[in-house]
Amino acid sequence: MQLIPSEFVIGGVYFPPLLIASFLGVVAAWLTTQLLNRYRLSRFFAYPPLVLLAIAVIYTVFIGTFIIPA
Amino acid sequence: MLSFRFKESFKTALAMTTAYGIALAMDWEKPYWAAFAVAFIGLATVGQSLNKGAMRMLGTLLGGLMAFVILALFPQDRWGFILALSLVFAFCTYMRMGDSHQYFWQVVGVALAIIALSAGFDPVNAFDIAVLRAQETALGILVYSLVTVLVWPSRTEPEFNATVDSLASTQLRLFQAYMMEMRGQGGTEQGDALHAEAMQNQSQFSLLLDAAVTDSFEVWEVRRQWRLYRAKVEEFAWAMASWRDGFSGLQGLDLDALLPNLRDFDEEIQARLADIGRMQTGQSPSRQPQDVVLRPDTGQIDGLSHFQVAALTAARTQLQALARVTRSLFEIASELHGLGRAASEQREEPRSTHGFVPDPERLTASVRVMAILWMAYLAGVYIPDIPNLVGFIIMSGSIGITFVSMPQISASILLLPLSVSLLFAGFVYLLIMPSMSSYFELGPLIFLVTFAICYLFFNPRQVISRQAGLSVFAVVTGITNEQQYDFVSFADSTSMVMLVLLILVIVTYFPIWIHPRKVFVQLLARFFRSAEYLLSTMRWDPDGTPTRVDLWRKRFHTRELATLPGKLGTWVHTIDPGILGHTPPQQVQTLVNHLQALSYRMQALLEARTKPQADFLVQELLSDVRAWRLLAQRACGQLSHDPASGRHATFRSELDRVLNHLEARVEEVLNRATGAQFSEMDGEHFYGLLGAYRSVSEALVDYAGTASAIDWARWRESRF
Repeated sequence: MQLIPSEFVIGGVYFPPLLIASFLGVVAAWLTTQLLNRYRLSRFFAYPPLVLLAIAVIYTVFIGTFIIPA
Repeated sequence: MLSFRFKESFKTALAMTTAYGIALAMDWEKPYWAAFAVAFIGLATVGQSLNKGAMRMLGTLLGGLMAFVILALFPQDRWGFILALSLVFAFCTYMRMGDSHQYFWQVVGVALAIIALSAGFDPVNAFDIAVLRAQETALGILVYSLVTVLVWPSRTEPEFNATVDSLASTQLRLFQAYMMEMRGQGGTEQGDALHAEAMQNQSQFSLLLDAAVTDSFEVWEVRRQWRLYRAKVEEFAWAMASWRDGFSGLQGLDLDALLPNLRDFDEEIQARLADIGRMQTGQSPSRQPQDVVLRPDTGQIDGLSHFQVAALTAARTQLQALARVTRSLFEIASELHGLGRAASEQREEPRSTHGFVPDPERLTASVRVMAILWMAYLAGVYIPDIPNLVGFIIMSGSIGITFVSMPQISASILLLPLSVSLLFAGFVYLLIMPSMSSYFELGPLIFLVTFAICYLFFNPRQVISRQAGLSVFAVVTGITNEQQYDFVSFADSTSMVMLVLLILVIVTYFPIWIHPRKVFVQLLARFFRSAEYLLSTMRWDPDGTPTRVDLWRKRFHTRELATLPGKLGTWVHTIDPGILGHTPPQQVQTLVNHLQALSYRMQALLEARTKPQADFLVQELLSDVRAWRLLAQRACGQLSHDPASGRHATFRSELDRVLNHLEARVEEVLNRATGAQFSEMDGEHFYGLLGAYRSVSEALVDYAGTASAIDWARWRESRF
């Protein structure tokens, strides 16, 4: 099984897969935190900025591993 | 008829195209530095632009000099170099947030970063880089100045005169509205609206005065008188605010009976203000100011409580202060229009020279800007292949100095203008510019792009978008005589801008987490800490000599008390409505208004405390006044630990109890006093102080009432 994701090509320009995964990871983390704010679940976190970073990393790893096509 | 917007955009575009053309014709490297100068000095009138241009030029020269010193001291020591650079840069940031010459200090910082970093990475050419930067900035300033002087020149004087006229008229209407409000004949809405209008006129007048001094010989000739006039206008605003603040204590009093000549006084002040307006439009005054002193009717006053007498005394004192300041304004206006010489005898009060008192907000900004510079530098040292490393550190510092000076603005709002600017500049650079072969083609393109950006983002609130658009265009296109087109160059510029944005986002959380919700509560706590300290200084022996440290601490807390309500006001609109729960957003503004009132009253109390008091009163009432002070001090201490802890009913009952007891004691002591023990001057001072105690108590109770209506539990909840 090939576990190294392949590069993205947009208009002839090659983009590293981690760049795309991290961009999507940050967007997904931002959306998640907006929902947590909306439903007042953010109050259960002691230091929200660190949680945002952690969620972004988790999403990035998840997207980079399972969603970006190999 | 062409619009003002069209003309200004046209002038900036013409200056930009000309500056580029000359820099290219001279075969100078980096012609976009001249373009930067044009992009950042464009303002509405000739005077304003010339002022800003002069600041930019002097700032560049000083920044260059500082850069040479740093380069000479740390030629082969990168850590010493960045430490010295970041410290000086932090100093420039601190100065940039001061009361004057903000733009000058910003340019010093930016020029320092550009010259020191460009030369630090290329020490052989350090001197050439500094000279190039200075000459291209001078070129941009010269070109823009010539364009504003020659093409549709827009002088400051007409706008300045209109503003002065409007200010005089607003002052008159504001006085009339407050007078009606004091007599209980009108609501507060009209006064609030006129106060906002007067503040706006006042800041516009102050801004235009510096510009008019530069571009109008008539104004320059009498610049000292105009500056004195500005100082008196500020004094007038302060006297009006203090006067209005005491209206609550006058409720239910028949003022026309208590002050029999109040009507004459009112007419006299109105006549003076109307004549000041008349003189500003070039007419002669209808009459000269008459001496008018407000005398109370002693027979009527006997029926009042001591606190009512105190409120009346405070109102009289404030009205007399207004009489003095309107007379000064009248005399200065006479001299300005060649109708008298009295004002020449008046002098601006010398500025206080009590040494350095740090401002926590400015220190915070300095720490944050150092963090930005260090992060960018460390990224450059430890992360390989950072695109355009020198440009990246310079851009981080240059945008950072503006960013940290406006902590209310979130880094995320820069994302859209920067992204759009990058895409647009990339489109021009990659798809349009390669087909061009001479400046006859490139020139119109620069003109059109600059015109479009200036025209689209003309509104002053869009200044960040306008400057982002113009600077990103200049950086991405990198126009030079040996032009190259490379996608990698565009990709590098894009990555660089995004990395800068990432650093700004990180600095929002580290080393100091800037969150409106938290900052607001911290500022409230600081306010009450200062109030508590200042109340504690009232125990100082008036005949004793406090230590220098004590005096310094008192100055620090006095300034905190005076400035914190204004600082809190700038955060009100950034509070996320989500944290307010069921609290209406206006409640937060009301809280800040009550804090402002408390600030005024505390300052009045401290001033009243400095006046001499009759010895027998001091001895007799010492323990009662001490009881009040300890109670107020305890309340402020409690609020400094938790600004939400005030309970309206508890505060009200405790303060009422102490004040009622104080009043009874005053009654008892005054009944025993003989005429020799208590002169008229003693009475004025004593009632001034008594009124100040009362008004501070009322302000504390009002604050507690408003604070208890806010859902603080919801406010304190963590949010992303």
